[in-house]
Amino acid sequence: MAKQYGMVIDLQKCVGCGACALACKTENNTQGRNRGQTFNWADFYIREEGTFPNIIAETIPTRCNHCSDPECIKPCPKPQALYKSEEGLTLYNYRYCIQCKKCQEKCPYSAVNVDKQNAQYSVISYNEVGVEVNEFYKDKTELIKGCTASGAEVAKAVGMTPPNRNEYAFKDGKNPHDSKLSRGKGEMKDVRSGGWVEKCTFCIHRIRNGEQPYCVVACPAKARTAGDINDPASDVSQLIKKYKPARLKNNKGEYLKADEKGTQPNNYYIRSYKKV
Amino acid sequence: MKINRRDFLKASLAAGVIVTLDGPLFNALTFAAAEGGAKPGAWVPSTCQGCTAWCPVEFFVQGGRIAKVRGNQLSKANNGYCCPRGHLMIQQAYDPDRIKVPMKRTNHVKGRGVDPKFVPITWDEALDAIADKMMELRKNNEPEKLMYMRGRYSPTSTELLYGTLPKIYGTPNYFSHSALCAEAEKMGPGYTQGFFGYRDYDLAKTTCLVIWGADPLSSNRQVPNAINKFGDILDHGSIITIDPRLSTAAAKATEWLPIKPGEDGALAAALGHVLLTEGMWSKDFVGDFKDGKNLFKTGATVDENAFVEKQTHGLVKYWNIELKDKTPAWAAKITLIPEEQIIRAAHMMGKSGSKTAVWMGPGVAMTPRGTYAAMAVYALNGILGSVETEGGVFQSSSAPVEAFPKPDKFIDELAKHHGHGKKIDGRGAKDMPAMMKAKPGSGVITNNVANALLKNPESIKVFLSTWSNFVFSGTGSQRWEKAMEKIPFFVHMVTNAAEMTQYADIVLPATFGPVEKLSIITNMANLHGHMSIQQPVIKPLWQVKAEETEVMWLLAEKLKTKGFANLYDYYASFEDPESKKKPTTAAEFALIAAKISSQKVWDGKEKMKGDQIAGWEDFRKKGIYNTETYKYKKHWGKENSETKKFEGKFKTETTKFEFYSETMKKALGEHAKKHNTTIDDILKVSGYEAQGELAFVPHYESPKRHGSQAEYPFTFIDHKSRLNREGRSQNTPWYQEFKKVDVGDKSWDDVAKINPIDAKKLGIKNGDTIRLTSTTGSIVTKARLWEGVRPGTVAKCYGQGHWAYGRVAAKDYAKAKPRGGNNNELLVDDYDRLSGATARNGGFTGVKIEKA
Repeated sequence: MAKQYGMVIDLQKCVGCGACALACKTENNTQGRNRGQTFNWADFYIREEGTFPNIIAETIPTRCNHCSDPECIKPCPKPQALYKSEEGLTLYNYRYCIQCKKCQEKCPYSAVNVDKQNAQYSVISYNEVGVEVNEFYKDKTELIKGCTASGAEVAKAVGMTPPNRNEYAFKDGKNPHDSKLSRGKGEMKDVRSGGWVEKCTFCIHRIRNGEQPYCVVACPAKARTAGDINDPASDVSQLIKKYKPARLKNNKGEYLKADEKGTQPNNYYIRSYKKV
Repeated sequence: MKINRRDFLKASLAAGVIVTLDGPLFNALTFAAAEGGAKPGAWVPSTCQGCTAWCPVEFFVQGGRIAKVRGNQLSKANNGYCCPRGHLMIQQAYDPDRIKVPMKRTNHVKGRGVDPKFVPITWDEALDAIADKMMELRKNNEPEKLMYMRGRYSPTSTELLYGTLPKIYGTPNYFSHSALCAEAEKMGPGYTQGFFGYRDYDLAKTTCLVIWGADPLSSNRQVPNAINKFGDILDHGSIITIDPRLSTAAAKATEWLPIKPGEDGALAAALGHVLLTEGMWSKDFVGDFKDGKNLFKTGATVDENAFVEKQTHGLVKYWNIELKDKTPAWAAKITLIPEEQIIRAAHMMGKSGSKTAVWMGPGVAMTPRGTYAAMAVYALNGILGSVETEGGVFQSSSAPVEAFPKPDKFIDELAKHHGHGKKIDGRGAKDMPAMMKAKPGSGVITNNVANALLKNPESIKVFLSTWSNFVFSGTGSQRWEKAMEKIPFFVHMVTNAAEMTQYADIVLPATFGPVEKLSIITNMANLHGHMSIQQPVIKPLWQVKAEETEVMWLLAEKLKTKGFANLYDYYASFEDPESKKKPTTAAEFALIAAKISSQKVWDGKEKMKGDQIAGWEDFRKKGIYNTETYKYKKHWGKENSETKKFEGKFKTETTKFEFYSETMKKALGEHAKKHNTTIDDILKVSGYEAQGELAFVPHYESPKRHGSQAEYPFTFIDHKSRLNREGRSQNTPWYQEFKKVDVGDKSWDDVAKINPIDAKKLGIKNGDTIRLTSTTGSIVTKARLWEGVRPGTVAKCYGQGHWAYGRVAAKDYAKAKPRGGNNNELLVDDYDRLSGATARNGGFTGVKIEKA
């Protein structure tokens, strides 16, 4: 059976601390929020219900679901920029992207503009053509002239933008786009540029090197488990079997009902944030 | 990811890394090897000091830059993980608003919103100016007019500044920030168990965790360890959270007891009452009635001779004086927690017995009468017998630090004479017993320094301070603004132009400790003590220097050129423990100091009970020494088989766990004697309600409140952000972006959380701009309608409200416009006077809310 990587998130273990989302920003060099784009590949849906003192306040970690029936790929004009990798991951190849943003529009977990749509999160972010990436480290203003630095000066002193850039390479120099699944050409960048669509890659650079996604290893609560859900022996499959998992339907915090398939998302939420 | 193990192994072998599949990935080789998937880089150990956990961490360094952070893989305190605030260190290090060079003020007018007109100067010019001012005071025989105040510090190298400079120079006026945030907590275990310190917990074995006035998933102590084990505790036991607002721990707990602010002592008494009347006390730790029959009946006085105690002293007295009438029904009226919920919580605790850990936090203690609430809450651990038992509560483990040579012979007559004068913080005054460690007049009263400065502006002429920001972090912070305006010469050593920096005459750019400073840090968690290195993992980008070591060396050199060589001679007398070389430069001094502090764990002279470390280089590579595991019942006493006398190990007057605190009685007695008065008079003038015997047992005191209910109808609740790196992370975009992880808060904003019932009455909607006003001051922020607080209270997270610090933290740095409001401009300057700690919890500040 073909591989389908997925993630199980144990909500009883999760304490909503934010470490996964922050760690992701360091691993994947995602820039700061601007123009309705979050650039948070890992983020949260926060749900609050009830009245004092009977209140449920839960934080649900979110990321690209790497769906088995992805709505983002369907509208992508051929030759498609979005494709499924051999691990069942939804990847993006800039080479074939025409910046139509249909993926962002159609993905039930994304918003074209989170501010305008009042969305808590968007798994897909878009780098506007002609807009500077990492503006924070390109700004030249100094608060105290000659005494304090500026974003641009930090980047210059470090010799890198962003200064904390985590440069990664692929095993044996082979990037995932080299595969026939992506027609064998195209770059994968650790820092994106204008015109690029970006989202969680399941840390493909780590996966291909035999490592866990960074949000998994960074979670201090050990709430995340990643693996092949098509392999019944995998940890993820075992957890899915043991607990009755739930999957998100959209970025409004709704879950798929038992008879709903949705886009066949591959983030599985087990147990509950507040034990009942 | 089981499926990947084979691939993983193959890849790792290819990269030349030795791996263990089940254990931590760290080993000596990974230090220099590539992280899989990444271009070559190395994980280099250091220590995070973003909160009081002082976590051993590692930075992923690539091409001389830091890219990522994780917990030190060898650390037993944090299990190899860092909490969210660890990641923020990256943006702190690369903060565009870091001070690059020493600065000099050119505008002599000082005030909030007044541009200091800083200009860059050289280190030499800066140190010259400071040394001149210092020499002048000594020349005029008034060295006591130099004051040093420390903010965040290294527990070892602080001895070179805080512990040395005042002594050799000759001033008694050196104060730590300590009493601002949690010190009153220590009074709980202090006056019962003789342990004036922060506790540790056996979270892996706890079956009932009672989280009281803290949210260890966010702040307080050992955050990564609490996060790591919280979900598992729910699998094998229960968690009870007592907090007036819905914290993360409350949101996930089995029971949330949303107590009325400041009524913790009443709840503790009722829980104790149920545990005793229902016979759920620990027979092993406390003892039992002689005939085995439980005589603890509501309202009934018990004969002290009917009970035989084991490790404890005065349980029956405690019952008779305080607990016998403190029923759950009585407490329900006061605390607003339903009677049945109090009983249910007591049963959970009682059933779990000595595997119950009562985790007391500052919310209980940092109130104007907090000492007694802290004792009452902590005493529950005594009743349950969970002191140093499996799943229980522990004293702290300590790492074997080697002390620096004594400075005594470098202290001249002037320094000796003036150095022992009266401290300006007012400790030991009749109404300020400050009896930390059972010694009256010993506790620091940090926040009172501003009052002293305002009262007597002449008392301090030169003020040095490091990694501090009292203008922002002290309650009644407006007092600090006024006091700072009058300081003739203020030197601030910091990373960013903070609020307090706006009053500086000279600013010295400090290292950002976790990535630029060499020092040795010690702490404990998870039943282990540890010593970890803090080291320059990257080359500093700017002309920054480590304030406690390098700057002190350079200052000492300067003072020497001006005729005062004692400080230099002291520092220069240090010896490298290996080469025996003496320091000749600031860098050498910092290195030798670090080696001295840490030598016991790596020099091989003594076989260590914890980790085995092969030498200094091995220690630098590993970055940590973990002590042995804390032994259960370490301080339990036993009967001497020969003398038949009980020999206790607790550092109390009786060597036992004191429900009737002979230790408190003695300390209060000493303080009263010093002031020629009675203990009752001392209590009265210090603002406590207790008189007579009640003062010696943990007991309920009603909360003190500033502002009448009529004029200030809402009770203010201050709490901490899980992203606060003390007050320093607000200038990082990541802090603002993920502010929403603080339950009820909003990203890129600052909110006051109000119950919708109250909001409706006030005509306030979600997102409205509102003004909160207390008897002390006023702040403007946004309203958030929220069900996580009871009507009549308003909760607000501390952290936002910076009007300086940087472009992200402040709304407009140049115009001193804050982003949101600072809680400390609302909170009233008051104290738990028995400890000297600053009040900031327990509903002592009333506020009114208006649309702005």
